[in-house]
Amino acid sequence: MKYWWWKVLSVVLLLGVVIVGLRTPLSPALIACTPDRVAPGPVTVTLAGYNTHFTDAVIALWIENSGQRVCATSFKALSNDRIEMQFTVPPGLRNEFCDLWVRTRTHGDLRYRDAFYTVERGQGLDPATASTCEPADVAAASTPFTLPNRNILNESIRNLFFHVPMWFAMVALMSIGVWKSIRVLQLGKARYDREALAAVQVGLLFGLFGLVTGSLWARVTWGTWWTTDAKLNGAAVAVLMYLAYLVLRGSVPEPAKRARLAAIYSIFAFVFMLLFFFVLPRLNAVDSLHPGNGGNPAFNTYDLDSRLRMIFYPACIGWIGLSVWMYDLRKRMAHLENTRQHANDR
Amino acid sequence: MNSEFVQLLRLEWRLDRRQKHALGSMALYVLSTVYTCYLGVKQLTAVPVWNALFWIILLFAAFNALQRTFQREDGGRQLYLHTLAHPRSVILARTTYNAVTMAVLSMISLAAYVLFIGDRVLEEANVGMFVLAVVLGAVGFALALTLIAAIAARAGSGLGLMAILGLPIVLPMLLAVMRASKLALDGVAWSVTSKYFIGLLAINALAVALAAILFPYLWRD
Amino acid sequence: MRTIVRTLTFLTAALAGAATFAQDPQQGWLVNTLYQSGKINAVVAGVAVILAGLAVWLFIMDNRMRKLEQEQPRK
Repeated sequence: MKYWWWKVLSVVLLLGVVIVGLRTPLSPALIACTPDRVAPGPVTVTLAGYNTHFTDAVIALWIENSGQRVCATSFKALSNDRIEMQFTVPPGLRNEFCDLWVRTRTHGDLRYRDAFYTVERGQGLDPATASTCEPADVAAASTPFTLPNRNILNESIRNLFFHVPMWFAMVALMSIGVWKSIRVLQLGKARYDREALAAVQVGLLFGLFGLVTGSLWARVTWGTWWTTDAKLNGAAVAVLMYLAYLVLRGSVPEPAKRARLAAIYSIFAFVFMLLFFFVLPRLNAVDSLHPGNGGNPAFNTYDLDSRLRMIFYPACIGWIGLSVWMYDLRKRMAHLENTRQHANDR
Repeated sequence: MNSEFVQLLRLEWRLDRRQKHALGSMALYVLSTVYTCYLGVKQLTAVPVWNALFWIILLFAAFNALQRTFQREDGGRQLYLHTLAHPRSVILARTTYNAVTMAVLSMISLAAYVLFIGDRVLEEANVGMFVLAVVLGAVGFALALTLIAAIAARAGSGLGLMAILGLPIVLPMLLAVMRASKLALDGVAWSVTSKYFIGLLAINALAVALAAILFPYLWRD
Repeated sequence: MRTIVRTLTFLTAALAGAATFAQDPQQGWLVNTLYQSGKINAVVAGVAVILAGLAVWLFIMDNRMRKLEQEQPRK
């Protein structure tokens, strides 16, 4: 129990993350509507939703333009994710784009931003004809547990529990590696060199996982396998650096010298890796596509962010725990190989 | 310590003077690279391409110039230095010497580059800021790569290792300095680019501090 | 070896459990959620890559361990 409680903990956490992270539905969102422009006069609009309950939950629908509302005269749900409505648009809408709002009993107000382009704009609705409706407020419903449904991320938001913890695990293992490297320089013992190597090997594995999952994620959201995003560059360079570490080890035959050279390079590389991960992305923030950089909304500004975090933090702990467990196995095996070799040499 | 540092700097200078071909070969390398580029592209007027090509030339010139710093000494001289000087002053003197060399080399490259590839992009540029970016970048290469050169020389396996070890270390620095010099060529104000210069200075300071801490362990034995 | 087997078992169980949940098209939201958008495929592929990578790592470790077991120390 003393030795393996944290291994069980991390596996249980990961189990929970896989099940809850993949099963939890996304919160409802409005994804498309036709037509995409409105002009004064009657218009029939069809709206498509995602994970919505149009058949029994819709209270009211309205178009909003510069704070003024035009309410639907009638609406009819075709299915849970499709609804048809009629508007009579008065002349004089001011802004270029209108939003479409749906007030629901189960999920509060849903907004479809910039749903329509406004044809024949004016100076705002005449107050006498405007505000044709003031839909009654609904009591804040207790919404079921859902994940935020963000534009372009959509379902792939679940990757947050797999892609991001890979980098956390890599940094954790490289920290172990740099700590062991410092011990090598201080004490010059071969066992610390073996432990540093084990940490870097497993850390590199997680770095490669991070690169591949990130690349897949970029394909479905940004539409490309790879971009010159600041964080991508930092990550790729960090992986290259540790591959160079392995090359350096391979090119020095004497064990004691190899241990020292590798330790020096690993400390140097680690400090620069932290720099690339945490400082340079801020310096080059303008051209980062990642959340939280260059005007993109960060994950913690999301409306339901606490729900993401409830899964994200256990995921980080779980993946770091798993990676440290793997490091532990790798390290023990390296020690064992070493003692075997010594026994054979004798 | 202080006078030791000055003595070591002087020693570096005298060593380089004795091997005149070493200094000459660095300049010749840059000149021939620039001339090769000239043969390939003649004049360049597009700012991003002009900028990127210049930095690529400078990057490889830096690798070429710096990889000899620890390779030129034989076992005897190293032992002699080891008994006489503190390793920290050795690395600090070498780093300083390399930084100065790279600053001079970057100016030579810039002159050659402007001469051959064209100076039309400089017409709207903030020239002072651009030169500062070039010098800071070149000095940054020197500071970050001196320790790497020492490691590669100790590993004793040819010249390829230095590029493998050093490229990932300087790549992000290269990206930041390329962006800063691109902004300078576009003629933007200091307030926009100052964060790049501060960042570069911070990276340079960090590289020197790490080299000073780690080099004594490398020098041992 | 026991710990390795344990990891593998846990992970397989975790994935198998998730997969059966995911493939059960009981109600509308599951179909919508998991298959309509297509972006879920990135997550599925990512998880698959991670698990495949872990499996490769386990095989490599397994081989090293076997070599270690076969190499009896000479006395």
